[in-house]
Amino acid sequence: MFLRLRLPLLLTLLAGLVPVVAFFFKDEARAVKAPASWLEQDMIIVAGFALLLGVVNVVQSNMKKIERRDKGWFFAVVLLGGMAVTGLVGALGAFRIGGLPGIGNYPDGRPTPFAWCANYLFTPLQATMFSLLAFYIASAAFRAFRVRNVAATILLVAAVVVMLGRIPVGEGVFGRFTEWLMQIPNGAAQRGIIIGAALGAASLSLRVILGIERSYLGLDKGE
Amino acid sequence: MAKGIAKLQTIDRRWIFLLIALGTLIPIVLPIGFPVTITPPVKSIYDLIETFGPGDVVILSYDYGPTTGAENDPMADAILRHCFSRDVKVVALALYPLGGLTSLSNSLNRVTAEFPELEYGVDYVNLGYKDGGQASMKLLADDFAKAFPGDTNGRPLAEIPLMQQIKGAREAKLAVSIATGIIGEWWANLINAQFGLPVAVGCTAVSAPKYYAYLEAKQMIGLIGGLKGASEYERMVKEGYPATREAYANPLLQTASKGMDAQTIDHLIVIAFIVIGNIAYFASRRGKGQA
Amino acid sequence: MAYFDISRVNALTLFIFFCIVVILFIEKARADRNLYIRRIAGLNAIDEAVGRATELGKKVLYIPGIMSIDENQTIASLAVLAHVARMTARYATDLDVPNKDPLTFASARETVKEAYTLEGRPDLYQESMVHYVTYDQFAFTAAVSGIMVRERPAANFLIGSFYAESLLLAETGQASGAIQIAGTAEVAQLPFFVCACDYTLIGEELYAAGAYLSRQPAMLGSIKGQDWTKAAVGAAIILGVLLESLHLFPGFKAFFSIQ
Repeated sequence: MFLRLRLPLLLTLLAGLVPVVAFFFKDEARAVKAPASWLEQDMIIVAGFALLLGVVNVVQSNMKKIERRDKGWFFAVVLLGGMAVTGLVGALGAFRIGGLPGIGNYPDGRPTPFAWCANYLFTPLQATMFSLLAFYIASAAFRAFRVRNVAATILLVAAVVVMLGRIPVGEGVFGRFTEWLMQIPNGAAQRGIIIGAALGAASLSLRVILGIERSYLGLDKGE
Repeated sequence: MAKGIAKLQTIDRRWIFLLIALGTLIPIVLPIGFPVTITPPVKSIYDLIETFGPGDVVILSYDYGPTTGAENDPMADAILRHCFSRDVKVVALALYPLGGLTSLSNSLNRVTAEFPELEYGVDYVNLGYKDGGQASMKLLADDFAKAFPGDTNGRPLAEIPLMQQIKGAREAKLAVSIATGIIGEWWANLINAQFGLPVAVGCTAVSAPKYYAYLEAKQMIGLIGGLKGASEYERMVKEGYPATREAYANPLLQTASKGMDAQTIDHLIVIAFIVIGNIAYFASRRGKGQA
Repeated sequence: MAYFDISRVNALTLFIFFCIVVILFIEKARADRNLYIRRIAGLNAIDEAVGRATELGKKVLYIPGIMSIDENQTIASLAVLAHVARMTARYATDLDVPNKDPLTFASARETVKEAYTLEGRPDLYQESMVHYVTYDQFAFTAAVSGIMVRERPAANFLIGSFYAESLLLAETGQASGAIQIAGTAEVAQLPFFVCACDYTLIGEELYAAGAYLSRQPAMLGSIKGQDWTKAAVGAAIILGVLLESLHLFPGFKAFFSIQ
C-alpha cells in the first residue's frame, strides 16, 4: 500500500509544491530555487529512460507478430530492421566511433550515415505525411462548411473571408478585414479559451497535487 | 435537376484531392508571381532589426522540424539574410529535436554560402539542439553555457569569440523563434515575460491565430504567420537589400513567394468546393421541401 | 522576505484565492453530494459510442494524445480512458490504445488494467490492448491511420494533447465511418476536431471530464471552484476595462502588470 499509493502521492505532492513555491522567490533564494531546478533536470533524465521502455515494447510486440506470422508480419521485419540500422548508426555517431564527427555532417559537408538517413529517408516521409493535411483540409472544409444553422454560417463566412484575405487575389478587398478578424474577434476568443483552459489545468493540477485525482497512477477511486 | 445538383454533396473526396494536387503542382512548375502585400505584424519585426547594427546579437531558435520546413525554412532564411546583410551577429540554436539535426544546419549552410565573408564563431554560431524545453530556456536566459556546454561540434563556448560577447540570452537585442507547436509560446511566456527580452515568432499558418493574443498583449513584438508572412518578409529583404535578389532568383531555391502561388490557387479551389457544397445542400433541402 | 519576488504578488494573490475557493467547494461537495454541473454532450455520448462498437462487434480506438504524462491534458485523458475501459470491460468490447509517449504508455496500461480489474473482468484484459507505437509524431499518425483504415474501429476517441496530426487522424477516422469523440485544449487544433468529429470537448471541458464522469464529490467541487475563479477573473476584466476607459484608479492595472 505504501509503495503503490502513499509514496507516489507523497512524491507527487512534493514535486508539485516545490516548483510552485520556487516561482514566487527570486533567483538568489537558492534554498528554494535549487530543488526546483533539480526536479526540472530530473524530468529530462526520467523521460530519457522512459524511451527505453517504449523501445522494449516495440521490439516485444513486433517480435511476437513475426513469430506468429500475423497479418502484415513483413512490415514488422521492416520496422525492426529500420530501427536497428538507424539506432546503430546513431549510436556510432553519438560516441564518435570509426572517425564519425557526430550525428550531423562531416566538416566538408558530407552527411554521416545517421544524417543521410535523416535527410533522405526520414525527412521526405515526414514531409509527405504533413502534406496530407492540404488534401484533408480541403475535404473537411467541403463537408463541414454548410449553412445548416447560425453558428455554422458564421464559421463558413469567417473561413471564406480569412482564406480570401490571406491570398493576393482577395487581399485588396478583404485584407484589412481579415487582419481585424484575426486580431480582435479571434484574439478575444483565443484568450477566452486560453484562460478557461489554464484554469482547468490549474484545477486538475491542484487535484493531482492534493491526491484527489489518481487516474494517472492507474487508480480509479479518487478518495 | 435539383436532385442532380444535390448529389454533389456526396462527391467522391478523391476528386477534391486531385484538384488540390493539380492546384499545387502547376503553379510550382509554372510560377505565376502574385503580388505580396506587407502586413503590420511582419513589418514590425523587419523594422526592429533595421535598427540593429554591427555587433548587435540576435538569437534565432529553430523550433521546427522538416515537416513544417516548407513554411518555416523561408522565414528562417529571410531573417538570417536580413541579419547578415546588416552585420548583425546570430546565435542559432534549437529547442526542437529535429530542428537541431536538420533545419538549423541546412538553413545556416544555405545562407552562409551566400555571405562568404562571414566567419563562424565571430559572426554566427550554431549551438545545436538542447532538450529539456522550458527548463533549458530558463538556463540559457542567464548563461548559455549552463544549457549548451559547447557548440554543435563540441567546441567549448569559452573558445568561441561571439560567445564572449554575450553570456546569456537576456543580453541579446531580439529572440526570434521559428516554431511549430508550442515552443513559440514558451519564448513569449517565459523569456519575454520574465526577462524582458523582445521576442518575435515565425509560425505555421495553423498556429498563427493563437499567437495574435500574445501579439496584442505585447508579449511579442511581431509575428510571421505561415507562408504568407514568410513571403512578406522575403519581399522586404529583397527590396531593402538588392544583393539578396540573386539568391532569391535561384530557380532551385524554394521560396515563400513561389509557394504563395500554389497557396492562392488551392485557397480558390477550396472556396469553390465550399460554394458547390452549399449549392448542393440548398438543392437537397429544396428537393425535400417539394417532396 | 528579502528573497520574495514582489513582482509576482499578483500571481500569488490569484493562486491563494484559487486554492481557497477550490478547497471550500470540495468541502461543500463532500457535505452536499448533489452539485449541479451542466450537461457536456461529448461526455454523454461516450455510452453511445461504446454501445455502437459493441453492437457492431468492432473495437474502440482510444488515442490519449501525443504528449507525455507531465502534460495536464494527458492526465485528463487518462481519467476518461479509465471510464471508457470500464465500459469496454463491462460489455466485452475490444479496446485498442496506441501510444506515442512511453511514459503515457506505462500509465495508460496501468489505467486500463485497473479498470478491467475493478469491473470484475480481469480475464478480458490483454497486454496488447495498450501498446507503444513510436516516438515520432507522423510515424505514429501513419500507424494509427493504418489501424483506422484496416481494422475500421466503430468508435474513435481522440482525447488529449494533439498537434498537426489532429486533422489527419480525425479525417481518416471520419472516412472509415467511426463515431468520433475528440477533446483537446490545444486551441489551434479545436477547429479541425469540430469539423471532422461528431463531438468535441473544448478546453476546460476536457479537464472537467474526469470529474464529470466519476461524479466524485471532491472532483465536482473543484470544478465549481474553478468556475467561480473564472467568474472572478471575468469580473476583474470588466472592472479593469471600465476603470481604464474612465482613467480611474491606475493602480488596478498596475497590480496586474507582468514585470
